[in-house]
Amino acid sequence: MNALPLWLDAIIAALLVVGAAFALVGAYGLAKLGDFMKRLHGPTKATTLGVGCVLLASLLWFLGTPGTPHGREILIAAFLFVTAPVSGHLLVVAAMRMDQAARPAPTEGRSSTRSVPARDET
Amino acid sequence: MTALPLLLALPFVAALALAALPRLSRTAAALVAGAATLGGLALLGGMAGAVADGEVLRFKLDWLPSLGLAFSLRVDGLAWMFAAIVLGIGALVVLYARWYLADEDPPARFFAMLSLFMGAMLGVTLAGNLLLLVVFWELTSISSFLLIGFWHRRADARAGARMALTITGMGGLCLLAGVLLIGRIAGSFELDVVLAAGEAIRAHALYEPALALVLLGAFTKSAQFPFHSWLPHAMAAPTPVSAYLHSATMVKAGVFLIARLHPALAGSEAWFWMVVPVGLATLVVGAALALVQQDLKGLLAYSTISHLGLITLLFGLDTELAVVAGVFHILNHATFKASLFMAAGIIDHETGSRDFRRLNGLWKHMPVTGALAIVASLAMAGVPLLNGFLSKEMFLAETLATESHALMEFLVPAGALVAGIFAVAYSLRFVHDVFFNGEPVGLDRVPHEPPRFMRVPVEVLVVLCLVVGMFPQHTIGPLLALGVQGVLQGPAPEYKLAIWHGFNLPLALSAIGLVGGVALYFGLQRGINLHRIERASTGKRVFDALVRRLVDLARRVTRALENGSLQRYLLLLVLAAVVLGGAPLLEAGPGFGDPPGTPAGIAGWLALALLVAGVLAVLRWYRERLLAVIAVGVVGLAVSLLFVLLSAPDLALTQLLVEVASVLLILLALRFLPQQSPPERRRGRAWLHGVVAGAFGAGVATAVYAVLTRPTRSISDYFLRTTVPEGGGANAVNVIIVDYRGFDTLGEIAVFGIAGLLLHALLRGRAGVPGTLVPPQPARPAFLLQVSAQVLLPLAIAVSLYLFLRGHNAPGGGFIAGLVLALGVALQALAAGREALGAPDGRTWQAWIAWGLVVATLGGIGSFLFGHPFLTSSTPYVDLPLVGAVPFASATVFDTGVYLVVAGATLLMLAMLARVHAQAGDR
Amino acid sequence: MTAAVLPFVVGALALAMLLSLLRLLRGPGIADRVLALDTLYVCTLALLVVLGIQWRDGVYFEAALLIGLLGFIGTVALGRYVERGKVIG
Repeated sequence: MNALPLWLDAIIAALLVVGAAFALVGAYGLAKLGDFMKRLHGPTKATTLGVGCVLLASLLWFLGTPGTPHGREILIAAFLFVTAPVSGHLLVVAAMRMDQAARPAPTEGRSSTRSVPARDET
Repeated sequence: MTALPLLLALPFVAALALAALPRLSRTAAALVAGAATLGGLALLGGMAGAVADGEVLRFKLDWLPSLGLAFSLRVDGLAWMFAAIVLGIGALVVLYARWYLADEDPPARFFAMLSLFMGAMLGVTLAGNLLLLVVFWELTSISSFLLIGFWHRRADARAGARMALTITGMGGLCLLAGVLLIGRIAGSFELDVVLAAGEAIRAHALYEPALALVLLGAFTKSAQFPFHSWLPHAMAAPTPVSAYLHSATMVKAGVFLIARLHPALAGSEAWFWMVVPVGLATLVVGAALALVQQDLKGLLAYSTISHLGLITLLFGLDTELAVVAGVFHILNHATFKASLFMAAGIIDHETGSRDFRRLNGLWKHMPVTGALAIVASLAMAGVPLLNGFLSKEMFLAETLATESHALMEFLVPAGALVAGIFAVAYSLRFVHDVFFNGEPVGLDRVPHEPPRFMRVPVEVLVVLCLVVGMFPQHTIGPLLALGVQGVLQGPAPEYKLAIWHGFNLPLALSAIGLVGGVALYFGLQRGINLHRIERASTGKRVFDALVRRLVDLARRVTRALENGSLQRYLLLLVLAAVVLGGAPLLEAGPGFGDPPGTPAGIAGWLALALLVAGVLAVLRWYRERLLAVIAVGVVGLAVSLLFVLLSAPDLALTQLLVEVASVLLILLALRFLPQQSPPERRRGRAWLHGVVAGAFGAGVATAVYAVLTRPTRSISDYFLRTTVPEGGGANAVNVIIVDYRGFDTLGEIAVFGIAGLLLHALLRGRAGVPGTLVPPQPARPAFLLQVSAQVLLPLAIAVSLYLFLRGHNAPGGGFIAGLVLALGVALQALAAGREALGAPDGRTWQAWIAWGLVVATLGGIGSFLFGHPFLTSSTPYVDLPLVGAVPFASATVFDTGVYLVVAGATLLMLAMLARVHAQAGDR
Repeated sequence: MTAAVLPFVVGALALAMLLSLLRLLRGPGIADRVLALDTLYVCTLALLVVLGIQWRDGVYFEAALLIGLLGFIGTVALGRYVERGKVIG
């Protein structure tokens, strides 16, 4: 592995740090924000940007390495930019539907050992 | 020696050709089968000189050398003689069947089965390895089953076929066990070794069990008492089959085996006491029952049983002269009994009945057939100047010479005399009751002679009976000598083939038999009228009762185990795993090693945290299925990450894809379940489950830890060193999958395909149960999803092909690529509905599975072309743009099969689940 | 320089994943948990790429590629299930 020029190394490091920071912030938002619609912002935007930066860093990093196909990072980024909005959109629709139809009870999702199941078919 | 495998291959080739051409006419089909038979006879004739000179012809091809299984053929005198019977009678039967079959019988199927049987029987006679012999032995049972059930619309044919298969099949299993014991004692399954190891075998502690097991095989096959009752019921078969299988060849396989293994097993007290009583009982019981049948073929069947008993008895007496008589009678019985069956078939064919009570006075209508049948019957009765007389005379002399316990010295000749009297009586009945004795009763048509060529085989056989009976020394003498040498594996004893031996005791017994038989028949006919006797077969009743018991028992066991409770199954499975896996672990200790650890790093700790959190979440949420699915998703992701950290990219890829596919499948399957599983009501059971699950987890953890701490460089170096030069691929995992362990993979994809088909069978025509979180909503078109899915499909296909093509050298391969393709298609279904999943009945994916298996198998066979064993890769590389060097290996063909099966089975499951889903939703 | 920041990058991504895990465990809605799982997948993708840089090995790119291409199918299916009660219409 030949040493990278300093400026390239610096750019890669910067991209990695920025990318990781985006991802972290996005996840922090997911963990901390008050309700679902707010929480949705974190991962859908920040992580995509974060992953984008990381991919860019990788692209530059492997430019000098012979023997590995180049540009796969672009492919991954393309995939992600197609798929991430779709899943985000779908989750919004799902969450809205849940709101209208059957807003989960406060204990929903917790272990409900005491509640008697509505249908017992086994 | 290439003639030998060719000889064996001919009938199988004919069978395949006939099976492939189901529309052949009767004549054409008979010509194909006949050509194979005559070709075989010619090849066999070419070997005659060498075999007559005492040479043993051999051919050997290793099959599974590690198990001692070799494809070895061996022709000595006995094998040659038997092969001559199989092919000679076979040729006549083919000619006969050409005229016997009716217009509505599918001729190609009949002759295909007949050729299959002929090949199997030839295999039994020519096999030079005991295991190979057993393989062909089972094949005769199976082809006999098919032939007995040829008229499969008739209930009696089906029942008879089942009974024959059950009894001879169980005998075959006993034979296999016996052969395994013999092979262990002798140190080899090769016949040459076994035949030379007689002393060692007889002296061994396991000799008696081995002998008993082998004899069980022989006795069931040769319809010896008390296993005889399948043979009369096998008479539901078309008559050419009875003439061939159930008189001349297959039932002789048992006595052939006794003769074949004579040098290895005979010559002991145990042999005498196991064989002689059975033979004697069969001789007498068969003869007595033959007299009271009302069915032409039934009489012949019981007579065959009796004659087989006679031959068995002779081999049991275990003197060299008895062996001569036994071999001689095998030849004689084959000729006269086959001709009698054919005559019975002609009568049935031309009158439409086989019932003694209706058939009378046929002499006027079919004198030629009558004359032939009379000559053959006289041979069966043992009348002088016919072949049956000669061997019977030798038989009587041998029974008189029995040297054993005083009781046996009396019983054996006495039984022979009684059987002789009955034999004369039933032979007389066959003649008198059919051709004379009044007029036919209630026949649909006026009987007449059969077509010219249908009679030819009978004529040939009857002429043989006469010629052998009058000039034995010059006709049958050399063949008999060959057979005897083969049985004894040494020179034949002094014996004289002559009609006249002077006035002696055997001649007197013969005379008593003749007079007594005539008196018995006419006495019974006058006294009680044989036509009135109605009897059901005791053997059949006993057999049916036994089968019923067995089925009842099986039902009870099934009900006890399979009670419909999934918890119970899971408990039993896990418990079995704990016991089977835990026992050796406790016995030998886990064997932890002490290698230096690898630092986990941040990513390692992260994976661990995800894993633990995921597992705890599953435990907490296990009753709420949707949440559990999400938690299991976390576990799967963590496992994939672990595979990455442990440098297993192939596994990581597979795990990721399986994870996504499982989420889809489980979500589809959730439809069949209530949203929440009911709480466990019984405390005790919960504790039991907890303990078993804990033990299982502890066991797995121990095993994993042991594996992790043991030296890693055990066999991996070997694989890494050899995969490129031998497998032609740099990705050791893929090379192992498609080449080194290709056979395993073939089995695995077959299982996977079967799982898909099973799901199809279960869900076909079933509606789901409603049980969703949200009541099903009318689908709104999801444009965003549809557009993205459309964009992604070609990309997914491209990625899938890319992963497939480079899989031999880098992570990827058929399994992973197949999953990628399946998920790409599944995405279309998510976006656009189940129409994207092909035909609603899953036809498309069934075809994928089928073609995948075909391609994989062909890929395996392809390595034969390069002179390698099954599923060995052979690799020229082809350079493709973008992808790089692609192995144009036979392994790639195999991997294509894997690809098709994996994609097909996954999509079939999805399609079937989605179909039920959609149906339930629409309601 | 890159080598120096890599441990921190990995650590940040790991922390991000733990935060997502927290949301996944806490809920409260199904949609929250699905979103958290989706975030976990995306972060794993980033982590794989970073590990590739760290080990100078491109062999894990396929895993990242597949997450990018197909990882969201699980999310879509779960979302569909919650929204419509059936996954494939």
